[in-house]
Amino acid sequence: MQKKGLMLGGLAALFIAGGALAAGPADLNAGMRSLMDRYLSEAQKKEPSLKAFSAEEGKKFFNAKRMHSTAKEERSCSTCHTSNPLNPGKTPVGKTIEPMAHSANKDRFTDPQKVEKWFKRNCAWVLERECTPEEKGDFITYMMSN
Amino acid sequence: MKIRSVLVPILAVGALALFYGGPGYAADTSGHGSVYTREALSGGKKALLAERESEEGERGEGGGGGGGENERFSAVESPLYKKECSSCHFLYQAGFLPAHSWTMLLNTSDKHFGEDLALDDKTKTDLLAYLTANSAEKSDTEWSVKIMRSIGSSTPGRITKIPYIESKHRKIRRDVFKRPSIKSFSNCGACHTKGAGGNFEERTVVIPK
Ligand code: HEC
Ligand code: HEC
Ligand code: HEC
Repeated sequence: MQKKGLMLGGLAALFIAGGALAAGPADLNAGMRSLMDRYLSEAQKKEPSLKAFSAEEGKKFFNAKRMHSTAKEERSCSTCHTSNPLNPGKTPVGKTIEPMAHSANKDRFTDPQKVEKWFKRNCAWVLERECTPEEKGDFITYMMSN
Repeated sequence: MKIRSVLVPILAVGALALFYGGPGYAADTSGHGSVYTREALSGGKKALLAERESEEGERGEGGGGGGGENERFSAVESPLYKKECSSCHFLYQAGFLPAHSWTMLLNTSDKHFGEDLALDDKTKTDLLAYLTANSAEKSDTEWSVKIMRSIGSSTPGRITKIPYIESKHRKIRRDVFKRPSIKSFSNCGACHTKGAGGNFEERTVVIPK
């Protein structure tokens, strides 16, 4: 009896600790949480002091402008998504993009494969490189926070 | 925290609604302005179209252009094509390009107008099966027939580079395509208000400001 109680207590403690340490916001589904956990452990390899992702950093990253080497124009994530994640955006070919913020569009950040595919495309378009795990984690944290 | 910040405005709007007497008012104040604007806009467009259509009617029946069974394309019915190929631009009907153009586009999908589409082999095969089954040679719409005639033995990589399509748009100034409401010649749906449903007839065209 007592043993069982202890075990349950221990499990509960584990759950609580697990919740507190998880890399992603609570609204993310299991698949997305494990993607965020992967981002965090990869980011920590480079920067062991990193504890959690930051919505504030994600916002800066989202709006940061960069000169493209061949297109010779300033580009940022907000070029297509606009600087307000609650608003719809537009691609260079004129197609409307539904808002990025999870609160405005519940389909966002529910499919890890889709998320990875668009990071690959859009990071190349804006930054001419892949995004780092830390940038991806901060970005998603920002989009889940507004 | 979160719950409170959501509840407060809801309560406030609710109280206002009670005060002014009626849910109608509440609906108007709860931030749906943009939706209403959009409705108003498309309503306006519809009105314009109806006007044009009635003008057309007055000119008499025969003027409409052709009487074949497949005057128009149908809307794209492939969910896969829609999923993979419509996020960045208009979903071009397969009948706008010959099969060899679609094959070339998918074989170079890692360098698609500056984008890596990152398609796996199965997705490519399935997309190609759909696109080549419905390509310009297979379609008897007036547009596909004219496109096939116009390209000769070439393999166009763009619909907008097909001589027939270019000639149909030659009266439009280049800076019109650059308007924020259009952005690109490739954005067919901006002017062809029924284009998504497969109708490119001249009388359905509205060039946005
Ligand atoms: C050239 C236009 C463009 C730019 C610039 C852009 N995006 Fe996107 N992004 C899109 C489009 C189009 C989609 C697909 C939208 C859809 O499926 O509704 C998308 C979707 C995404 C998604 C998928 C979200 C989901 O779960 O649906 C992520 C993640 C994303 N973008 C990240 C970024 C980041 C990070 C940047 C800046 C480095 C960026 N984007 C810049 C066009 C762009
Ligand atoms: C990541 C964004 C993106 C996706 C996804 C995408 N395209 Fe494109 N596509 C572009 C861009 C950018 C252009 C060039 C448009 C311009 O010049 O304005 C283009 C142009 C085209 C054109 C030529 C349009 C013209 O001007 O005649 C065709 C045809 C085309 N795409 C087919 C496809 C097909 C088929 C798929 C799916 C396998 C696809 N696209 C998916 C970005 C995309
Ligand atoms: C800026 C507005 C605009 C855009 C963008 C545009 N079109 Fe057009 N299109 C027109 C106008 C206007 C006409 C009528 C030209 C005429 O007959 O004088 C037309 C005519 C056509 C026709 C001939 C219709 C007929 O039966 O005579 C086709 C087919 C067509 N467009 C296809 C396309 C496709 C495909 C795209 C995208 C790749 C496109 N258009 C983009 C404005 C536009």
